[in-house]
Amino acid sequence: MERFITQDNLQRFAAGLAEKKNVLAPVASGGTTTFRRLRPGMQLDFSRMAVISPKDATFPRNETLLTVQHYPEESGKRMELQEHLPEGEMVVIGCRPCGTRGKLVFDPVYETQAIKDPYYIRRRDGATFITLACARPETTCFCHSVGSGPADEEGSDILLTAVEGGFVAKAVTEKGEQLLGDSLFEDAGAKAEEAAASNASARKLMGEAHDFSSAAEKLLKRFDDMDFWQTQSDKCISCGACTYMCPTCYCFNITDDEAGLVSRRLRTWDNCMSHTFTLEGSGHNPRSTKAHRLKNRMGHKFSYYPDLHGGQIACCGCGRCIKQCPAGVDIRQVVMAAQEYPDER
Amino acid sequence: MNANPYLPDMATVVEVIEETPNIKSFRLVLNDEEKMRSFSFKPGQVGQLSVFGAGESTFVINSSPTRMEYLQFSVMRVGEVTTRLHQLKAGDQVGVRAPLGKPFPVEDMQGKNILFIGGGIGMAPLRTLFTYMLDTRDDYQDITLLYGARSPVDLTYQAELPDWLAREDVKTVLCVDNEYPGWEHKVGLIPNILLEMNPSPEKTVAITCGPPIMIKFTLQALKKLNFADEQIITTLEKRMKCGVGICGRCNIGTQYVCLDGPVFTYAQLKELPSEL
Amino acid sequence: MSGEVSQLEELKAAIRGQLDSLDCVIGWEQGYDPLHATPLFIRSEADLERLTISPLAVHNPATYTTGFKGKKIGLVVRGCHSRSVIELLNEKLIERDEVVLFGLCCDGVVSQRKIRAALPADPGFVEAVELGKDELHITVAGEQATLKLQEVLADKCLHCAYPDPLVADVLIGEKHAPRQAASPACQDAFEALGNEEKLAFWQDTMSRCIRCYACRNVCPMCVCQDHCIATSRDHLWMSQENTPVENFMFQMIHVSHLTGRCTECGECERACPVDIPLMLLRRYMNKQVREVFGHQAGIALDKTPPLLTFQVEEARIKERDW
Repeated sequence: MERFITQDNLQRFAAGLAEKKNVLAPVASGGTTTFRRLRPGMQLDFSRMAVISPKDATFPRNETLLTVQHYPEESGKRMELQEHLPEGEMVVIGCRPCGTRGKLVFDPVYETQAIKDPYYIRRRDGATFITLACARPETTCFCHSVGSGPADEEGSDILLTAVEGGFVAKAVTEKGEQLLGDSLFEDAGAKAEEAAASNASARKLMGEAHDFSSAAEKLLKRFDDMDFWQTQSDKCISCGACTYMCPTCYCFNITDDEAGLVSRRLRTWDNCMSHTFTLEGSGHNPRSTKAHRLKNRMGHKFSYYPDLHGGQIACCGCGRCIKQCPAGVDIRQVVMAAQEYPDER
Repeated sequence: MNANPYLPDMATVVEVIEETPNIKSFRLVLNDEEKMRSFSFKPGQVGQLSVFGAGESTFVINSSPTRMEYLQFSVMRVGEVTTRLHQLKAGDQVGVRAPLGKPFPVEDMQGKNILFIGGGIGMAPLRTLFTYMLDTRDDYQDITLLYGARSPVDLTYQAELPDWLAREDVKTVLCVDNEYPGWEHKVGLIPNILLEMNPSPEKTVAITCGPPIMIKFTLQALKKLNFADEQIITTLEKRMKCGVGICGRCNIGTQYVCLDGPVFTYAQLKELPSEL
Repeated sequence: MSGEVSQLEELKAAIRGQLDSLDCVIGWEQGYDPLHATPLFIRSEADLERLTISPLAVHNPATYTTGFKGKKIGLVVRGCHSRSVIELLNEKLIERDEVVLFGLCCDGVVSQRKIRAALPADPGFVEAVELGKDELHITVAGEQATLKLQEVLADKCLHCAYPDPLVADVLIGEKHAPRQAASPACQDAFEALGNEEKLAFWQDTMSRCIRCYACRNVCPMCVCQDHCIATSRDHLWMSQENTPVENFMFQMIHVSHLTGRCTECGECERACPVDIPLMLLRRYMNKQVREVFGHQAGIALDKTPPLLTFQVEEARIKERDW
């Protein structure tokens, strides 16, 4: 089903949803655009891809896993433990196809036969994704090289395509179809064709895709070549900008906070480029330098994860890590350098 | 394990044993009687202990599944969580998430000679299997234990050592790095004592755990003694958080130590990228 | 831009002459698109060919020096970068005989943020960039835009008192006439706000912070980052919770540790992926040190910053362990 909505009406639609549900949308503030909880008066900013990805919707930067109330005066120093599972629904509006697809990388890790992460699963199942197709690629975009494209519908409930005067909204799921029943949506008519043409042109603008299929094997071949990794990581400053911006990076930390007689167990985003990530109690660190850590980050996304999950690369090609890296480390260049490395005779 | 894998079970510390100046063993009983009764695990599996307010850390369950009056964990004091654990006394509450990880391949070891080589706190994961085998003694051929530490006071499980030494159905060899007054056992580094003992690899499985440097030289010694890679088993330490293969820090290539380990044969380790 | 071309050739010749005796020389090259430069680690003649010194080449190479301890390296430095080097030398974090400084008399570098605001479309759609003498000609999403360099210069360059390296082994370019430093307009505007307004500003701004520590890791003076109070586990000094309060707490600690040590290279603010104007805090604190102690970081060799008195803990401060 395809419908049309004007730009003003989309803003109205979003504001209406925000009265009933949590809505996460790109909003301009302080010269930048980030996903924020939509509050009355906030304007959607679709002019650029939001700096931070929409992964907060399904994997918030912090969440309380459980709290413990301490009763030190009672016999046995009783403690009461309470689980904090997320409730409620969330609608994400204006994420791009790459950002939406981030959760597809989470799925096989957070929900397996044996282990089900209830925090993630509840959030994912309670989330609706209204994705905006990209009309034109940025210099850092490479979604087409990792099995996606500028109008990819996978993971979305509705796909919006910008056309003259507004957007064509295509329902991808039943949840999406229900939302398109809102009276602010009109008959798409000939706009549907305009949208299809725009999507085709966007894909064409991306040019030829790079073939990453040899990366899994080639990265492993370079595993013990620390000279290679030192050179690749020369300019890296070992911060977490790449991982925190990344829609697919799913690693986390668990720490406790204590205040009076209540302690909280927190889950926060963590960063494999940090020295403390793998630092063991004994002081030993299996990934002691940034070269080791970059190797694991690249290996995880382009080799280990695909090896475990049917060849799927754990990267959605959004380019945030390239664009936001303070030193301009380019993930494409690093993987290609491993791919192009001459084979030993 | 609970349906929510992050949710610990509350447990009560029933006994604290001061093993060495920086190692204590904690005996725990789950508060939920039914859960304690039905708790099952295999030697080599680990658990996460919580001191609420400080955090969680991973330790091997070093009691044997054949003795289920309590679950025992031995903790070396190295950081914030272990310092807080060391302050616990009998009657205190902790959280437990267990069992996690894969156990020793006990079935494959039946009918074979067993050679344990433990160093320092590395004796903890061996203790669970050693005690288990003592309780199911008829399933195995000769059992030998070589256990060493820096000095006599650094040997854990002192209360059990006399029994282990006295038993006729196992051969127990103790060693320390240097001479100490009153020390009647071997003196020297574990790999050297091992070479001196000269065990036969014939139908034998060697299980080793200890500090990285000891493991490294013990592996070399075992190779010198003609043990095949498949005959050598070790158990790894890695920093862990979730314990269920999600949080992303304990992997060696595609393998997650918390999920696919911590027990690996040397042959399996050789297949993995070198990132210990 | 013939002046710049000949300066680049002069610089290349100077580097070429010393390359063999150095582990590497750190400069810049074009990055992932024509609008962005990236640090270049020069180890060969082929690397040297890629060197650029355009106003797009912004990164402070001094950040990398402590990672090369015991090795001899070269740095291409602008005036502000040389201040970072001086401060590192003064704090004995690097050795003078382990760095060769190729100094550039600098006419300023760009602010990508200002370029973004001035362009008719997102800079992600950039197609071509041509550098004029005082202008940037940028083609973005099919449109041509001409930006005056003066209008997109980084704030730190607008009133820079030290455009020429204060320490250098080789100096390239024409020295500038002495200039007076001045506080940028954005700083004055911020400081003129009332306390309530300032608090509201930081509460909103710090809600964007994701604690990625790009500001900390890119800072040439933040040398204890692997042992930083913000992420230490023994003890657990700071909550890992990502909230405006905790984020601001981290930033306050960060700026306190830099008070009188910060050389105002602006890297923290440049690196911030969510555009937090961290220099507002840095400049304010430095101003206090200037007023109370008459000290400014990195402008003279052998001057110890007045607040560098933490000998008690010094043994525990380990430098970054890349």
